[in-house]
Amino acid sequence: MTNEYNESFERKLKETTKFGLEVVKEAAEDRLMTLSVGPQHPGSGHFRFTIKVDGDYIVYCDPDPGYVHRGEEKMCEYRNYIQNIPHLERPVIHDSTNITYSYSLAVEELLGIEVPRRGQFIRAIASELNRQVYTLYWLAIYGIFLGHSTMFMWPAGDRELFIDLLAALTGARVTHAFNIPGGVRNDIPDGFKEKCLNYINYFDKRLKEYEDIFYNNPLFRQRTENVGILPKEDAINLGVTGSVLRASGVPHDVRKVEPYDVYNEVDFKVQYMKTCDSFARAYVPFLDMRESCHITRQLLDKMPESGEVRVKLQSNPKGRIGEAYKRVESGRGALSYYIVSDGSSKPYRVKISVGSFRNILALPHLLVGSRLGDMPSIYWALNYWPVEADR
Amino acid sequence: MSSSIIKKTSTATGFIKAIESGSKHLLMKRFTLRFPEQKLKFVGDGYQFDPKRGVGIAGSRGRHILFHEKCTGCQLCAITCEGIAEAIEMVKVNEKWKQNKKSIMPQIDYGKCVFCGLCVDACPFYALYMTNDFELSSFTKEHLIYTPAQLAVKPKYDGTVEVKIDERGASHG
Amino acid sequence: MATAPKDFRFGNFVGSLVWLIFWVIVIVSLVGLPLIFIILFYIPLPYSNGEVITPYLFLSMIVDPTRTIPIIKFLIHTDIFRAAVFPGFMYAALIAATTIFVERKFLAKMQLRTGPLYAGKIEGILQLMADGLKLISKEIIAPSGADKPIFWSTPIIFVATAAALTALIPVAPGWVVSDLDVGLLAIFAILGFFPLIALLFSWSSNSKYPFIGGLRALHQMIAFEIPFILSALSIVLLSASLNLTDIVEAQYSFWFFAIAPLSAFVFYISSLAELERVPFDLPEAESEIVAGWLTETSGMIYGLIQLGTYLKLYVLAALFVILFMGGWMGPQIFPQDLIPGYSGEKIYNATVVNGIFWFTIKTFGIIMLILLPRGINPRIRIDILLHTGWYKLIVLSFINMFIVLAMIYGGVITPGGLQ
Repeated sequence: MTNEYNESFERKLKETTKFGLEVVKEAAEDRLMTLSVGPQHPGSGHFRFTIKVDGDYIVYCDPDPGYVHRGEEKMCEYRNYIQNIPHLERPVIHDSTNITYSYSLAVEELLGIEVPRRGQFIRAIASELNRQVYTLYWLAIYGIFLGHSTMFMWPAGDRELFIDLLAALTGARVTHAFNIPGGVRNDIPDGFKEKCLNYINYFDKRLKEYEDIFYNNPLFRQRTENVGILPKEDAINLGVTGSVLRASGVPHDVRKVEPYDVYNEVDFKVQYMKTCDSFARAYVPFLDMRESCHITRQLLDKMPESGEVRVKLQSNPKGRIGEAYKRVESGRGALSYYIVSDGSSKPYRVKISVGSFRNILALPHLLVGSRLGDMPSIYWALNYWPVEADR
Repeated sequence: MSSSIIKKTSTATGFIKAIESGSKHLLMKRFTLRFPEQKLKFVGDGYQFDPKRGVGIAGSRGRHILFHEKCTGCQLCAITCEGIAEAIEMVKVNEKWKQNKKSIMPQIDYGKCVFCGLCVDACPFYALYMTNDFELSSFTKEHLIYTPAQLAVKPKYDGTVEVKIDERGASHG
Repeated sequence: MATAPKDFRFGNFVGSLVWLIFWVIVIVSLVGLPLIFIILFYIPLPYSNGEVITPYLFLSMIVDPTRTIPIIKFLIHTDIFRAAVFPGFMYAALIAATTIFVERKFLAKMQLRTGPLYAGKIEGILQLMADGLKLISKEIIAPSGADKPIFWSTPIIFVATAAALTALIPVAPGWVVSDLDVGLLAIFAILGFFPLIALLFSWSSNSKYPFIGGLRALHQMIAFEIPFILSALSIVLLSASLNLTDIVEAQYSFWFFAIAPLSAFVFYISSLAELERVPFDLPEAESEIVAGWLTETSGMIYGLIQLGTYLKLYVLAALFVILFMGGWMGPQIFPQDLIPGYSGEKIYNATVVNGIFWFTIKTFGIIMLILLPRGINPRIRIDILLHTGWYKLIVLSFINMFIVLAMIYGGVITPGGLQ
């Protein structure tokens, strides 16, 4: 532990155990128990963090990412721009359209092409549907971490509707490989628009049920209100992003701040909350899901009736010498790609910057001083997906 | 920009609403798809690609189908797959076709294929498409390697179940 | 959905059957029969109608219907029948098994899915048997640093204690395994063993997560025993007796639920906490402490602990029915004679069958009420739980006790009915 971490550790220890510091120091070593919330733990995903517990309070936390590191960025250098798509969508396979969206935008800038309008609309629709799929999965796991098995089954069931839509659109349930530099791979099938509107209208009614049984449940409120407070300045200084940032009172959404593709033609509000606690971090994605439904309806309305969806490229396109940087709002926060190209058909260097890896910096900050019982709600509300953070 | 403020409901109302919501679901239809007896319906024949226009036709990405009368043995599908999953290998076949001078055709190993469909995008001769068939399990790894003759067979898939939404909820069937 | 294995040969199958029959015959004739004769040598045979019943007489009596009924009547009133079959272990185990199955299907319907479906022809009704067979065939792994005698014996003590509780519950008038004068107090005394058992098991597992889980179980169960006893005290004031049969018979005109609803509510919440059911299932919280004090259980030990838990569920639901809802009292809906005009010996007693029927229906209703919070609530945190148990529930049960005392002193009610 570094010096400043040592001081904050002692300060938190003093506050939480309410003894004098001398007594704390000698008693502390005896009373602390080290728990390894590791990969083989039902409450952690494929990620390990070590915590030291004094009674019921957590006094030390050390996240340890890297369990599922695959070398995604290095693998990109051996494949050309089109062959990179299947393996680049695997880090967050549930949200695969968004993680390849940013890549496609950056490569399009390097290749100097512009996607036709209908292709941009279809890309945005697939991105919104995928955002719903990811957020429902996140909500399901959040429910089961808090012991609410019904809140696991309902979102998992409703997610099937969106997966059905995406399977009709792209051909595969989860591993879409739909976005490609130049546009999208195929046009929408017949009857898709009516089916999509039908499902979205049904889903809007389901959102009210989620509120009744989960968000307005007094037990859930008691457990998450005023727990794990992340004040606004700390959130900005630590560099968290996505729904965590919006739950701390900062109305930042990449789709509004730097609109890409057709998001400047769509009318939506950035959802944020000022209470900065764990309940806000759980409620903001729910509000985002409602906004997503509005956005999808507008996109389906405004889509041009006919047109190209893809720019015809040669089979091994070569990029211009230079670099490109593009940012996209994924389910976990801002996801950006920085690609350097040296004129050949394979990229020279690809750097992926994900929201999960930045959000995990807030975990020791929030867990120290809170109870062991708050660990699942704080950890999962940070929207951390281990595979994406390790790439 | 809007910040949401949640109204604070009293404890008793919260519990009563939760019980009401839970009990309402006892009357709704179950959502499960009972897989081997009920199978989902796919629209269309499978993913296809039109090399003249350069865009694909929406469909489900399952097992491939190879049209022997169109394949020229150009190896573009194998070259594309080399960077992705290395599942396609060109093998010599015993058939003589006019357009296929070297008599080689692709053989696909479904133990390695990730069903991305980029090989279908790469074929310029309308010879390789994908079908709806996804039930490819076998007892040994060697049986998963499909030879060009096996790939020429059009599969039979008869799923008929769709998601139906009515006032009692969504259900399959 | 079962398929025969790939290389099934009928000859081998018949051969294995013959082998099995051979071994059964060898063991029965070389070990079983001598054992039976030794037992019969030392134990005196029972009497019935002045005759000694030898095994041959017994077998011939079973075939003759007019002589079977006294035998069955005699058997039903022996002690071993009461303890093992009817108000005792098998009845409770049957209700427990039905509860597990009904719970899975009920929760599944609430969560818009089907529960167990494929084991058994009708909607998965043999699922429990399949689970039991699976658990028996698993290896029981004891951690190497565990305290072996305590680790192996604690689950058995758990089931034995839970089964001991079922011996005190009266199901029908006159049908209770042990009719103690201090029955209610005995139930609370036996319930006080469970925190100890949880702590023993978690301590002997010698591992961090069971340790935390065991401490949580200890805190939780001890905190909720006090509101439990206090809420039952109001009922004791109303019925002037600790004997459970007398408490039921004191409700002949109205249920005690009408005067003591707050106590019923406190009893209900405390029984959810004693049973470690959602929302109070912190000792087994899966996402925080793996499986709490049950982490190191595997195989049949897990099966025994689940059986013990569901037996305890039956006992507490039955206790709720006895204390607040009138036990076996209910309108007489069974006819006096099954076969009108029959005047010989009968096993059928109309009041008893009526009592069993109403008791079972009411217990099932309360069991459904206990299963409901699992579908709608998340888990609670330990400080909120202790706050509720030590402050709010004790206050509520005291309020109800004062109301009951006021009504008794005011002369509105006497123990045993309205004044």
